[in-house]
Amino acid sequence: MILDHQEKPLASWTGKERISGETVDCLTIIFKSGGCSWNRCLMCGYKFERYDKTSPELLRDSIIRQLNWIFSNYKTDKFRLIKIFTSGSFLDPIEVPKEAMKEIVSRFSDKILIVETRPEYVNDIVLDEICGIMKPDDVGKNFYIAMGLETTNDAIREKCIDKGNTFDDFKEAVSEAKKYGAGVKTYLMMKPLFLTEKEAIDDMKKSIKESAPYSDFISMNVCTVQSRTEVEYFWKRGAYRPAYLWSVLDVLVSSDIHVACDPVGGGKKRGPHNCGICDHDLVEAINNYSLNADRGYLKAHLEKDCKCKSEWEFILDNEMPYCMPLTN
Amino acid sequence: MFEVIKREGPARTGVFSEGEITLNTPCATDTAEIFPSLRTMAYSNVPLQAGSDFCKKYLKQYDNIFTSHPSDTAKAETGSVVMVPGWHTALPDPRNYVKWIIEMKSRHPPDTMWYSPACALPSNIATLIASGFDLFDYTAVDLKTSQGVFCNSDGEYPAEECMGTGICRCEGCLKDDLKLHNRIALDSEIAKIILRINEGNLREYLEKQSLNSPQLVSILRLFDREYDFIEKSTPIARPIRLYSNSGDSINRPEIKRFGQRVLKRYTPSRTDAAVILPCSARKPYSSSQSHRKFMSTVRDRAHEIILTSPLALVPRELEGVYPAGHYDIPVTGYWDMEERKIIGAIVEEYFTKNRYGHVFVHLNGDAAEIVKNALERTGTEATFTAAEGPTSHESLRNLDRALSGLPRKSHNYIRGMLSWQFGEDTDTSGMMIKGRFGNRKILKNKKQLFSIDNETGLYRPTFEGWETIVDRYIVEIDDFIPQGDILAPGVVSCDPEIRPGDEVFVRGQKAVATGRAAMGADEMVRSQRGVAVKVRKVKKI
Repeated sequence: MILDHQEKPLASWTGKERISGETVDCLTIIFKSGGCSWNRCLMCGYKFERYDKTSPELLRDSIIRQLNWIFSNYKTDKFRLIKIFTSGSFLDPIEVPKEAMKEIVSRFSDKILIVETRPEYVNDIVLDEICGIMKPDDVGKNFYIAMGLETTNDAIREKCIDKGNTFDDFKEAVSEAKKYGAGVKTYLMMKPLFLTEKEAIDDMKKSIKESAPYSDFISMNVCTVQSRTEVEYFWKRGAYRPAYLWSVLDVLVSSDIHVACDPVGGGKKRGPHNCGICDHDLVEAINNYSLNADRGYLKAHLEKDCKCKSEWEFILDNEMPYCMPLTN
Repeated sequence: MFEVIKREGPARTGVFSEGEITLNTPCATDTAEIFPSLRTMAYSNVPLQAGSDFCKKYLKQYDNIFTSHPSDTAKAETGSVVMVPGWHTALPDPRNYVKWIIEMKSRHPPDTMWYSPACALPSNIATLIASGFDLFDYTAVDLKTSQGVFCNSDGEYPAEECMGTGICRCEGCLKDDLKLHNRIALDSEIAKIILRINEGNLREYLEKQSLNSPQLVSILRLFDREYDFIEKSTPIARPIRLYSNSGDSINRPEIKRFGQRVLKRYTPSRTDAAVILPCSARKPYSSSQSHRKFMSTVRDRAHEIILTSPLALVPRELEGVYPAGHYDIPVTGYWDMEERKIIGAIVEEYFTKNRYGHVFVHLNGDAAEIVKNALERTGTEATFTAAEGPTSHESLRNLDRALSGLPRKSHNYIRGMLSWQFGEDTDTSGMMIKGRFGNRKILKNKKQLFSIDNETGLYRPTFEGWETIVDRYIVEIDDFIPQGDILAPGVVSCDPEIRPGDEVFVRGQKAVATGRAAMGADEMVRSQRGVAVKVRKVKKI
């Protein structure tokens, strides 16, 4: 192995994460991989973040160089939790060559590891390999599979995201993961294209309820406008608006279980936003809630007033599939 | 069922009826109450900007409402409601706005009621109606209410700076009820526009209202460039003044149509000599002081042609017909580059087509310069006869001297008008205009061929008159004897040149009739409802 060579991953950052009721230090890494094999999701801006048409050997070496970079730039001992993303599926052997995958897992085998993948790559072969590498953990599970279910509504997933899989595919992957004692982290996507504000809220409330039985924890992403995506195409033409922060609060507050949410781009035009006045406070409240899980605290923010609140309430009642979005 | 009543370009008034519902359009209403199916289609959004594949897969049709999309190819049924979902997202995008309207309006039958959801504000509804929309809702104004915004005919303002200030004293303002005010403001704006459609001066109002935003001005200008689309439903004549008050007026279809007919249809009755004269504020020109002086100086020794903005050239014979006898324009003596270019081009084309022996230019200032440059391009020699002012003694003496020796030959008004109105150079020998102003007739051998519409200047042919016009402006009808007006379904075919307000000859196997078109040719052919021809006289055969 070329241990002395380094290459910067696409992104990496540190933070805190709530896992099994406690808050832990977390390192998140996004590796540049061979790219998502599906690569069609309408909101996904990671389509272009890839080593395309390169040999599996070169790809393997590049990913390992990125891993080296992480170890020389972070004191990895500090982190209890490691979250690993690619611009697609970590468990897709075409995207992340098997040797690179194994190397990453073994270097983090004493941590709690979360890797993201599409459900079709969750199978006996790969789980056998990973669970053989991971060290047993006395807290409980130390290996989680994170999957972007996005919504439990297959029609929405197909039309509004073009994800190419179903709730059943997800359930199948979950039972596969459970067989090996791996945990499941479910990602939901709030307000993809073609949904009214109200439809988006209802979809999330229902999806949280329906996906909870299959999930150890749920994280809700709020759709943002990423460059060179279909979402951006419609957004630029006034045909898409990211969710109101009020709507995000509404979903989180009304959910029986704790759902984490990092409102990326919160308060910006391209991310979930309100009027610009109340945005900062609400983004902070959502971030705090992800760690403190204090529903009362979040509810108090939802009950605050702002000049944009009556507009939001109007939107919920009056925005229709044939006249949307009513605001930008 | 929807029936169009009156047309002003793509704008129209109409009546929609279904069961117990009757709507006089244009109007705003709580559409979801009238069409409950609007509330039934969850997750059905298809943005206006989506491509045809996406449309094919996801565009849903509502009960009783046809959903139209620019990328779709399905056709609405006659009489139905056509909704264009998401049309409010077209307003910031004038180029696609105009392109999509033309595409969809050409695809669906004209006798359909067009609904643009969540678009209408008092400040933009003139443009929406002028684009051919009939039905609106209160969503956009109610949204403004929720944002604390006060809606007015000229724009949107913070409510706290408007309510109670006396800007408006409607019932809503008196009750300090912003929602009511905003709805009333929309309703009263629509009422105002209906009045404008009925009076025939929507265009003047549209020019004014377009100034509310750059996008509305763009839409106006882009539609003006789509002459074929706009012109086909623009009335041929109106009994009222046409105000050419803005820089955009020169591009309105009536103006362009007049110029095109002077160039393409009109036949001058003499081409030995022409004198180009300035216009007068008073219409027709010949009733003005200045033109009395010009006419008594020219004494029929040359063909009188009036140079004017925005119409360019008005031959004397056409001075009474709409819009030559009806326009008014702010006069400053300064001609802007747009006027110079458009008018110069018409002068050039006219004198290229009609080669006069002599051209006398009795103009001064910018007007003289425009004509001079245009004539130079045609290689026409011209004599300039106006010194300081065209009506000064010196100028008139110059003109008189310049014309000396030319033969006197009075203008053939009938030939000029018939060629302009019907596109036919008719043999007018023996025809004479008789009667006092207001009741003028054209006779031949004591038989009346035409009467002149005092208000529009158009010629109204009698059956004998139609015999002199060969195969133009004919509406072919089915095998029936008209009882009253001719309805659109009765029309088999018609001359594509027919416009609303045109004089037409109705011809069928059982009867012929004279009358006036209520709709243009395009609508006659593509509609199943509405009056096509207002019949004046019927003759069984």
